[in-house]
Amino acid sequence: MAQIFDRSSNALARMSLVLSGLIIIALGVTLNELQRSPWVTRQGQRADQPVPFSHKHHVEGLGLQCQYCHVSVEKSSYAGIPPTRTCMNCHSQIWTNAALLEPVRHSWATGESIVWTKVHDLPDFVYFNHEIHVNKGIGCETCHGRVDEMPIMYEQNTLQMEWCLDCHRNPIKNLRPTAEIYNMDWKKPSDLNPVWCTATNVKTGTPTSESVNCTTVDPATASGTQLASLHLVETVDAQIAGAPVSDTPAGMLAPSVNYIKFTNQDALGGFLFKHYHIRSARELSSCEVCHR
Amino acid sequence: MPPVRDSIEKQQNSVDEDMQKTHAKLTLAEVRAKLAGQTGKKYWRSIDELAGTPEFEQALRDEFPQHSSEWIDPVSRRGFLKIMGASLALAGLSGCTKQPDEPIYPYVKAPEDLVLGKPVYFATAFPFPTGAVPVLIKSYAYRPIKVDGNPDHPYNQGGSDPITQATLLDLYDPDRSKHCLYRGETSPWPTFLASFRSMLADKKPLGGQGVYFLSDTVTSPTLAAQWKKGQAAFPNAKFIQYSPVNRDSAYAASKAAFGEYADAQYRLADADIIVSLDADFLSGARHPGFHRLAKDYANRRRLDATLNGTASANYSMNRLYAVESMTSTTGMKAEHRLALRASDIEGFAAALAAALGVGSAPSGYTWSPEAQKFLAALVADLKSSRGRCVIIPGEQQTVGVHLAAMAMNDSLGNVGKTVVYTDTVNPMPSNQTDDLRSLVADMNAGKVDWLVILNANPVYSAPADLNFGDAIGKVGTIVHLGNHLDETGLQAHWHINAAHYLESWTDARAYDGTVSVVQPMIEPLYGGHTAHDIVQSLSFDNPDASAYQLLRQTWGDQAVAVVKPAGGDADFGWRKLLHDGFLSGSAYTPKTLTAKITIPAPPPQSPANSLEIIFRPDPHVYDGRYANVGWLQEIPRPITNLSWDNAALMSYATLDNMGVHEHQVIEIHLNGYKVLAPVLAVPGHPDGAITAHLGQGRSTGRVAGGTGFSAYQIRPSATPLFASGATVVKTDREWGLAVPKSHYIDHRATYVGGDGSGTHSLEGNEAIDRGIIRYATLDQFKKEPGFAQEGYGKDTPPPDESLFPAYRYDKNAWGMSIDLNSCVGCNACVVSCYAENNIAVVGQHQATIGRIMQWIRIDTYYEGDLAAPRAHFQPMTCHQCENAPCEQVCPVGATVHSPEGLNMMIYNRCVGTRYCSNNCPYKVRRFNFLLYSDYTTPSLKLMRNPDVTVRSRGVMEKCSYCVQRIQEVKIEADKNNRPIHDGEIFTACQQACPTNAIIFGNINDADARVTKLKKLERTYGVLADLNTRPRTTYVAEVINVNPELTPDVGA
Repeated sequence: MAQIFDRSSNALARMSLVLSGLIIIALGVTLNELQRSPWVTRQGQRADQPVPFSHKHHVEGLGLQCQYCHVSVEKSSYAGIPPTRTCMNCHSQIWTNAALLEPVRHSWATGESIVWTKVHDLPDFVYFNHEIHVNKGIGCETCHGRVDEMPIMYEQNTLQMEWCLDCHRNPIKNLRPTAEIYNMDWKKPSDLNPVWCTATNVKTGTPTSESVNCTTVDPATASGTQLASLHLVETVDAQIAGAPVSDTPAGMLAPSVNYIKFTNQDALGGFLFKHYHIRSARELSSCEVCHR
Repeated sequence: MPPVRDSIEKQQNSVDEDMQKTHAKLTLAEVRAKLAGQTGKKYWRSIDELAGTPEFEQALRDEFPQHSSEWIDPVSRRGFLKIMGASLALAGLSGCTKQPDEPIYPYVKAPEDLVLGKPVYFATAFPFPTGAVPVLIKSYAYRPIKVDGNPDHPYNQGGSDPITQATLLDLYDPDRSKHCLYRGETSPWPTFLASFRSMLADKKPLGGQGVYFLSDTVTSPTLAAQWKKGQAAFPNAKFIQYSPVNRDSAYAASKAAFGEYADAQYRLADADIIVSLDADFLSGARHPGFHRLAKDYANRRRLDATLNGTASANYSMNRLYAVESMTSTTGMKAEHRLALRASDIEGFAAALAAALGVGSAPSGYTWSPEAQKFLAALVADLKSSRGRCVIIPGEQQTVGVHLAAMAMNDSLGNVGKTVVYTDTVNPMPSNQTDDLRSLVADMNAGKVDWLVILNANPVYSAPADLNFGDAIGKVGTIVHLGNHLDETGLQAHWHINAAHYLESWTDARAYDGTVSVVQPMIEPLYGGHTAHDIVQSLSFDNPDASAYQLLRQTWGDQAVAVVKPAGGDADFGWRKLLHDGFLSGSAYTPKTLTAKITIPAPPPQSPANSLEIIFRPDPHVYDGRYANVGWLQEIPRPITNLSWDNAALMSYATLDNMGVHEHQVIEIHLNGYKVLAPVLAVPGHPDGAITAHLGQGRSTGRVAGGTGFSAYQIRPSATPLFASGATVVKTDREWGLAVPKSHYIDHRATYVGGDGSGTHSLEGNEAIDRGIIRYATLDQFKKEPGFAQEGYGKDTPPPDESLFPAYRYDKNAWGMSIDLNSCVGCNACVVSCYAENNIAVVGQHQATIGRIMQWIRIDTYYEGDLAAPRAHFQPMTCHQCENAPCEQVCPVGATVHSPEGLNMMIYNRCVGTRYCSNNCPYKVRRFNFLLYSDYTTPSLKLMRNPDVTVRSRGVMEKCSYCVQRIQEVKIEADKNNRPIHDGEIFTACQQACPTNAIIFGNINDADARVTKLKKLERTYGVLADLNTRPRTTYVAEVINVNPELTPDVGA
């Protein structure tokens, strides 16, 4: 009886073994890439919106502050999508006949919502909270990117769990003074752009926004009005006028008296981490922080 | 009966046949034989367990009692379960694909004060026939998502009860009536008003002759005022109130004693001896004043200084005696309980009164030796506690019992101290059964042209012999205002969909008389209307006045007068009234009434061999008005542990005498009426009596329809509370009652270590051997304050005994302490947990096979004799073990430990292996075998707590210590760089508890209440010898027994 398989089958068999291994690996790599690809995450995609609203025009061009529209970002989990009335505050006066704004006028006239498509869409089992982030020194730009340079809104980051955890495991690298939260152009401190900070009010119960003052202008040369913080207390004012400013590391001098100069993000982040009472990485990456 | 139900019944019958095979019950004699010779403390949870039946052994072997592979649900008619075919297969893949686009619908004009994402709280009140329950509503984007007691209200101080909690689901019930109907066709409200008002105009010359209103018990003073005005214009029109569960006896007694209607308010804070004469004042809002009474009762049982505010440990515990028929939580909490048939209680009350020197002893009554001993001890105790005792008569007892209680309270000097008499909470007290009888007579005589039924369902709930269903056919025009198109609505010409109390303006008085204005929380979902809108048509000068305007008229001046506005704003007082939820200072002041009490001679004792039927409102669905609320149907009722149905409840001896077994269907005959009912035995039920809970056997509603039997079908109007002379005919049918009591059980049975003798009660033995339940009498406690620790030395193994490294808890460490002395087993915490955590209802069949989803349950351990047990209630929920057995076995890390000591459950990681549940010694993990959550019904979406994931099929879930609430408070505290204050976080169960039995907090905070409680010598952990290091601990019970009655109970 003739052999069913020719000797050449051996080569085929070996090859298929190797090939199937390769295929499995390729499949894994593909799925992995697919899962992180913009096709799934929508990173960088511009959704079709009823009105091609330009953040660039309104923020960079006109100088609107983020909270003019996203009113609840500091006090609620939800930043807020502006009601039609917010649009009409201006657009009942200007561009009243623009064709692009027809959906806004229609909404205003009929009382029906403008139906936007969600750009930053988290999975349903994740609970994200804006207020704690902006109150603890995470700027809008850190997650949302340079919104002031986006003619059409898109997702800058993947919003995937690994991206969240990347920061939750090491929040220091993204912390900034709370006064700079809405600054789209915030630069992390460097030798060229140092930041001076002082802890003004160290007792518990003080909101984060009042516990640290920071400035990008050397307080030794600056007058009080140029300070970035709005919450300057009088004693600090007086001290700035006379006291010498030192760039000694934190802890060697009473922090409420003197400004400390920071020239890198790690040092600044560490300072803010301490004074904003940010929870430890272990606590921040615990499941119940985001999943309930 | 419509054909649909026929087929359902057939389907059910086939299920019953299957179940019949598994229900070979032991006879009482066998059980007794097995119990015989057992001495000392002995606990049991169910009769199956006690007897060690093969079914029970099998149930022990199965993690969940029936096969998890089962797919076909014969009761899918409940509509809770949807098997979605192909989409199930895709469900696994959907996790890897992209999410669909989600739209955002912003406001056009945003409400000024709304911060989306933050809940807002509004005070209002739940108008219940026994008195308003002041509530605080959690509202999310103006959707009510949680109902809780109003913590600022002097009456309930934040406590609530199962029904109040469940009114939330009642609001969002998808079966609610959505339209006004005229002869079954949608017809607008103005058309009804036009027709109604033209009729009234026609009737005006006759003074409204032929116009009748039939209302549920009126709770609103404003509605009463409206009717008073209407009555002036229409002197011949009639307004009748009828609730099937009413206060006729109490009112008749006060009328007889004082010549006027008055309510009795009991002040248990000052009572050392409490006697309940069939008064179930510890089980729920069924009893007037439950919230206050339970709180006052529990405050006298704390034995520690941290909670009752006294300077030093206060051992002046109260002592509760219960003389009752149907076993109730009150009876089970009582130090001493005497089970008597409902008909014997009047005689007992008279005998007690006579022994105290009031009236004469009833003739012809014979008492058992136990009853005589009980009576003697009780009399001695009462005599030595003059002015510091109280006797509470049951609402569902006769006038004679009420009069005897009043006379005894009078002679013991309690009036003005532990009991005060005030004006009635009901603005229009009346004898409702008599009024209904005269209404039916008028209907039969053809005198009723228009019958306007306000929020009542008499076709279903009127006593059988009144034949309301026939009489209603002789009425010219029937108008029915109701939440549901119920039995009465279907017979009415006009059906008006009613607004829920959370959707409308009205007012009501709480037990203490404090006025609450009920304000709408949400625009009526279906544009409903209220009784105010209909009755106002009687005022021709202002027929369109809204309820709001009328309320301002009634209370506006008083509200402004109470609070003098500082800034000169005339509306300040009114706004404060709405903000606070009550009009401060409006509580009734005690009246001084001259009592002329003659205790009537009780009727002759019914023969011992006669059978009586006791009619009681259902602990959950009340008189049937909440029968369509899935939570209330599903959550096992206290004592019976019965889910979904009602049953003919009787003692084991009666069961044995009848020769029937549990689940068998019997036919109960009473006065020529009959009803089919399944049988269920209740520990401690008096012999020769059957308790039938009202409120089931509804024919409408997706949830209510088809559950249980309607006891109204045999309820006589002459004796609506209980009736003697019933007979029983056995049938060979079975009804699979869902009694989930034995479903939460440990794996280890006799076959892995029990003695196998059949006398071994697994949980009972565990309860005693391993100290699941620990208690002592007050005397023992005084002698050995550490009784809860002694003899249970394994409680706290050293931390290094585990192979797993110990966790460190640097900041917060959440813990809970449950005071078993205060817990009255009322189930308020369970319903609250359902609402807070979006827990799904699974339906009767799934409940029968042990898949009920409750995260917290009340374990009831019975002790002692079947006929006269003592019970211990133990709320059981996830213990958040520090060495959690569940965490160690999860293969996918779906349940992990948090730095604050919570055992977190990560639903989106869970693959459903159920190892965690298998390894949990407390059996507190629940698994979604099927897709129980309703993702489709629009109204239910509005109800959900947005802070909690709605779980899908195939994932495990369990108590999270309300982690969403912890996170919310943590964020608020972190924003301000401060620690979390003690008492800032309330778990849902803690918030609902009417007796503050549950305390939650940070055990790293030495000043926290929970830490102090955990330091009490009475604190113990359940199964802590396993080195689970549970975060939930219990404070052991101490009971204040009368040594003359039970010298041998206790540790």
